[in-house]
Amino acid sequence: MALTRRELLTLVAGSTALAACGGVSVQSRGSRGYQELHKNVSVGRETVLVCMPETSQTQQAWTGLNDELGQEFSLIAVRIEGRDDNAVIAEAVKRHRPAGVVLMNNPTVTAYRRYESELASTKRVPNVAIMTSFLQARRLGPNATGVAYEVPVITSVTHLRKILAERIDRVGVVYRQSLARFVSDQRELAAREQITIVGEAVSEAPNESEIKRAIRTLKQKTDAVWVLNDDHLLTPQLISKGWLPGLNERPWRPAIVGAESLVAAKLSFGTFAVLPDHTELGTQAANVIFDIADEGWVLPSAYQTQEPLSIKTTLDLVQVRERFHLLPEALAHVDRVLK
Amino acid sequence: MSNSAISRTAAGLTALGLTWLASRSAQAAAPQLLVFLHTAVKQRALQDALSSSLPGVSVTTVGRVADFERMLAEGPDAVLTLPVVLRSKGLSATLAGHRGGAASEKYVLVGADTAPNPSQVSSVGALDILGRAGTTTFVEGLLGAQPKVVRVTKVEDLLPLLQMRRADGIVLPARLQAALASASRLKLAERELAGNVGLPAVAAVAGSGAAVVAAMRSLPVSTSRLVGVDSWH
Repeated sequence: MALTRRELLTLVAGSTALAACGGVSVQSRGSRGYQELHKNVSVGRETVLVCMPETSQTQQAWTGLNDELGQEFSLIAVRIEGRDDNAVIAEAVKRHRPAGVVLMNNPTVTAYRRYESELASTKRVPNVAIMTSFLQARRLGPNATGVAYEVPVITSVTHLRKILAERIDRVGVVYRQSLARFVSDQRELAAREQITIVGEAVSEAPNESEIKRAIRTLKQKTDAVWVLNDDHLLTPQLISKGWLPGLNERPWRPAIVGAESLVAAKLSFGTFAVLPDHTELGTQAANVIFDIADEGWVLPSAYQTQEPLSIKTTLDLVQVRERFHLLPEALAHVDRVLK
Repeated sequence: MSNSAISRTAAGLTALGLTWLASRSAQAAAPQLLVFLHTAVKQRALQDALSSSLPGVSVTTVGRVADFERMLAEGPDAVLTLPVVLRSKGLSATLAGHRGGAASEKYVLVGADTAPNPSQVSSVGALDILGRAGTTTFVEGLLGAQPKVVRVTKVEDLLPLLQMRRADGIVLPARLQAALASASRLKLAERELAGNVGLPAVAAVAGSGAAVVAAMRSLPVSTSRLVGVDSWH
């Protein structure tokens, strides 16, 4: 499919922005030092420290956190700009002595681990990570938990089944071997809704032919394609010469993507974008903090990372009308419709 | 820029400004209805349906308690929500929704595979209508037990609690059970809970509240049914 340079750059820039929010590795930028973004303090209340970059998504998560926790705890949000900001975190902890910490995105989690690595285990406070990519695959500390950023495929397909008349039982996914465990966990979860995940493994640094071949293979034996939010698979080159040609040929299969920018009416890449509701991610993290506080600020034993519960969806209606069939009232179940 | 171009731009800006002012003034003049309800459709769809059924009324729908409280503080003319929510804010219903002649409805406890026993569940999911403490008390009252309550802000978010085994059961109005079941291939089983919960009602809270109430009386049945009601009294 012909794709103008401007369109491609827009697409990739958008997807990168979201991936960065999700915590896919970004370059560390020069720190501006200690800076408080939000402060909701009441004397005598225990403090929850929130370490976050300043993006529209993290601001939404802050809203969810503050709405839930703000009545019971003091909340301080400190700006973190990269993985080297461990000194900023140290300063924030020194000033506010938090009982619990919330961390937003991968570089923030890395900075916190660096800060924490120099502490005695008795001085470590429970912490909750959100907006962190492939959280389950990370080694979390003994007093750490979090809410995953990737929307489980069981959730995505459950929602897509409310929209398309086509039967969706078998879902194909292209993945790198290093994410095999993530795909396997998702396969097990999806089986509960009678969804079969069919994987096509590619190399750690695939070229466009490998991607195109994997998509063609999957499309022959599945009802939909699930595109992982993996920055190694979503480079400009792979999108324009692998994904787009692979998806834009028969047999048509709806593509489920994890970034709103990958659904664009002119490009026919993603059919249906499913992203976490960032405000609700904040709410979910707040409830983890409540659980921790109820245990005297100790992470309850056997506490597991959680999947995001709440999502927002975008549908490419142009593509759907060309290739698939909408169920009656389908659009009432979509947050954003691209016409 | 030439004089004529400047003049055209100024005229354009004036027209734009007047249009904006007219729109603001129309908005300001329209009675404001704040809606805090959870339905089987997205808030966007609910707002569209209510707006098109209530010409002359400015409708805002929200699904989160904190958003409801923020909007309530701005002083809408009327509020459409559950009576239990109205009571928590010291408001009383001016117009009550009815279905099948009754102003209240049954709730169910739904589980995967087997119908959960309300006294034996250790965790349940529920729609957050009253905040952490209020919703917990509300659910405990329905169940007659004190499980951990996992709150969500959308009807669609209840199903993942069962799919991911985050809760032993979920509590919801019986009328929403069909929508839940149609979206899932889990073997869902339900148990009706004792007691009744009031159906959505309207409270007139400010100057033009009476106008909103009058408009709500003639809300089309198809729109009323979106919020679980078939008539207003």
